[in-house]
Amino acid sequence: MSPANILPTPGRFPRLLLPVATLGGPTPPARPTDLDAAVAVGAFSSLRKAIDDLRAEGVLNALTESGMRGRGRGGLPIGEKWRACARAAGDAHYVVVNAYQSDPAVLTDRVLLQNNPYAVIEGAAIAAFAIGAAEVIVAVRVEATEAIKVLETAIAAAERAGYIGPNVLNSGIEIHFSVRPMQGSYMLGEETVLLKGLEGKRGQPEQQPPHTTTRGLFGQPTLIHGPQTFAAVPTILAGGIAGFLETDPRTFAGTVLVQISGAVTTPGIAEIPFGATLHEILDVAGGVPAPRKFKAMLVGGPSGAILPAEALSVAFDHESLATAGAQVGSGSVVVLDQSTCVVDLAAVLTRFCADEACGKTIPCRIGLRRLAEIGARICEGQPRGDEITRLTDLSADVAASALCDHERKATLSMLSVVRYFRDELDAHIVRNACPAGICHPKADARAGAVS
Amino acid sequence: MSFVPGLGIAKGMALTMRRFFAPKATVQYPETPADVAVRFRGRLQLLYDELGNVKCETCFQCAQACPVECIDMGGFDTRGRFHIHWGAAEQYAERRQGSALRRSGRPVPDQEYTHFGAIDLAPVDAILQKYDFEKTEMLAILESIQGVYGYLPVAALKRVSDVSGAPYALIYGTATYYRHLRFEQAGHVVAVCRCTACLVAGGSRVARTIARELGTEIGRGPAASGVSLEQIPAHPHGAHSPLVTLDGKTQQLSQSGAAAWARALAGRTVA
Repeated sequence: MSPANILPTPGRFPRLLLPVATLGGPTPPARPTDLDAAVAVGAFSSLRKAIDDLRAEGVLNALTESGMRGRGRGGLPIGEKWRACARAAGDAHYVVVNAYQSDPAVLTDRVLLQNNPYAVIEGAAIAAFAIGAAEVIVAVRVEATEAIKVLETAIAAAERAGYIGPNVLNSGIEIHFSVRPMQGSYMLGEETVLLKGLEGKRGQPEQQPPHTTTRGLFGQPTLIHGPQTFAAVPTILAGGIAGFLETDPRTFAGTVLVQISGAVTTPGIAEIPFGATLHEILDVAGGVPAPRKFKAMLVGGPSGAILPAEALSVAFDHESLATAGAQVGSGSVVVLDQSTCVVDLAAVLTRFCADEACGKTIPCRIGLRRLAEIGARICEGQPRGDEITRLTDLSADVAASALCDHERKATLSMLSVVRYFRDELDAHIVRNACPAGICHPKADARAGAVS
Repeated sequence: MSFVPGLGIAKGMALTMRRFFAPKATVQYPETPADVAVRFRGRLQLLYDELGNVKCETCFQCAQACPVECIDMGGFDTRGRFHIHWGAAEQYAERRQGSALRRSGRPVPDQEYTHFGAIDLAPVDAILQKYDFEKTEMLAILESIQGVYGYLPVAALKRVSDVSGAPYALIYGTATYYRHLRFEQAGHVVAVCRCTACLVAGGSRVARTIARELGTEIGRGPAASGVSLEQIPAHPHGAHSPLVTLDGKTQQLSQSGAAAWARALAGRTVA
């Protein structure tokens, strides 16, 4: 990754640490909704190629060969997913762009939609063509007003020009786009919950399998990806990932947007290649400013893991992070300095995940609350018996009985503290001391209880 | 009949042997699962935990799954919000009748639930018309209704159920799930951000302090002072951490100053 790519915009948050979100494709025009300028740099050429030359089967083959994987939590190869969806029988097929992005601190998807709407639209249109869907639904957060405006303008312009709509590129194919602003629940980021929301129902996840590719929106085959995944599709069909890392194409496919915040010199959004190390990500944001010292890194959002300095050599991809006990998650990286107590943070994050849980699975609904209570007890200096064993056992039970990814990953923060910050945890439990000076010592808690 | 020694025993043993080889009525549960009807859901029972609290979280999954709408419920949901909507027995009966009439295609009386306050239902009809009575647009319908009334009146939900044919449990289940939908008029709203950056900056301690001083919890509805505590859905661009807003306006609060600020706010609104 070359430092020349870093371009912070002073005074405006989120700063884009790279000029624009291209996801390996050509740089979009200065005014993102300018259709002519976008077409001039190659927008919709891959859709034309897909419809005229490749046909549906060719698109699926090209994606399978590319080894391209979803940018989201699962990180599964998208070739197989698209094929399964194309094969599935149903009255209608749907394509859903999940740009809900539930992590309240992460803006990567809406920045992508704001800067490069045609890449997402083209990718979703190619998907609709490949699986035989006539309807594409883009679910966006209500708060992302700018992204919704840009997206609606871009969709209208593309429809007028005949790139999407009732007769796509004069081929007789029908692909309609609609933007659905969603709000009201953290869980909407989970794909089956989002589908429930789009159906107007209570947002609770569904058991998989049957996967959404065979039984999704309204019980019909549905293809769901984040906008980052869709935006990378045109580039792949156009002949590979231009200009980004010359790594082994079998292990690497493309880039991912990361939101870096916390104790760094220039917080913002960076587009990094999959497989860059956490240390490189820290460097992109200018490192930790002078008097403060790096202590840990929260990778993956509220249900992510807290990783110490030793783990900074870990590569930012699905397998490496999973081995290190973390996840790509929301693409959020929060750098923590020495004033943060990791035990307190893990307890607070677990409490957040417990509060946001939909309540469908009992181990998630009750188990996460108990986990948060264990964390709170440790922070208050009132541990009961062998809390660490209880914590690891309960975490294993919660994760093993998980219905959705929220439950599977919500235990990561606590487990990462047990794994990497055992000294600090022991200081809380055994010596009633908080090295960061955040948590209440036992004496205070008792005094508070008496008075 | 002449007396034959041992005939009685032979008869008895014959019956025993016949039964011995006949098919058994006893099912070796759980080794052999019982053969039950496809739609059999078991006997309904409310379970209590060791502290005597009902374990039911009012998640409405049973009511939504019930094919004949025989399950309905009231109470507090997982976030402790909302009051009991269907309490007395005669209301259950009324509701059953309403469902039965609706299924039979006859007009349903009792359009307005005066018990929960009479409101003008014309806007609800207009909204339903606009969405073509489409059940799958329920979220948009509820959002529009809240846009008109400022909250979701129970009579309006009843009307939606009666007119669109969507089971009330389905509508209520949706309405209670999403954070932005509410069942009471909003007063002053204090909102705290719980994004990772704010949590790292001590946002949870600030939130806890404010909750204690206001006497409510996040999402629990208004406290006695009329102030409710909510969660900011997404951290806005450039806002500092930890972020606290009052009616949408950012407040400059230190961790130590939060308690006094919240206490003053609760006191001011009461007076």
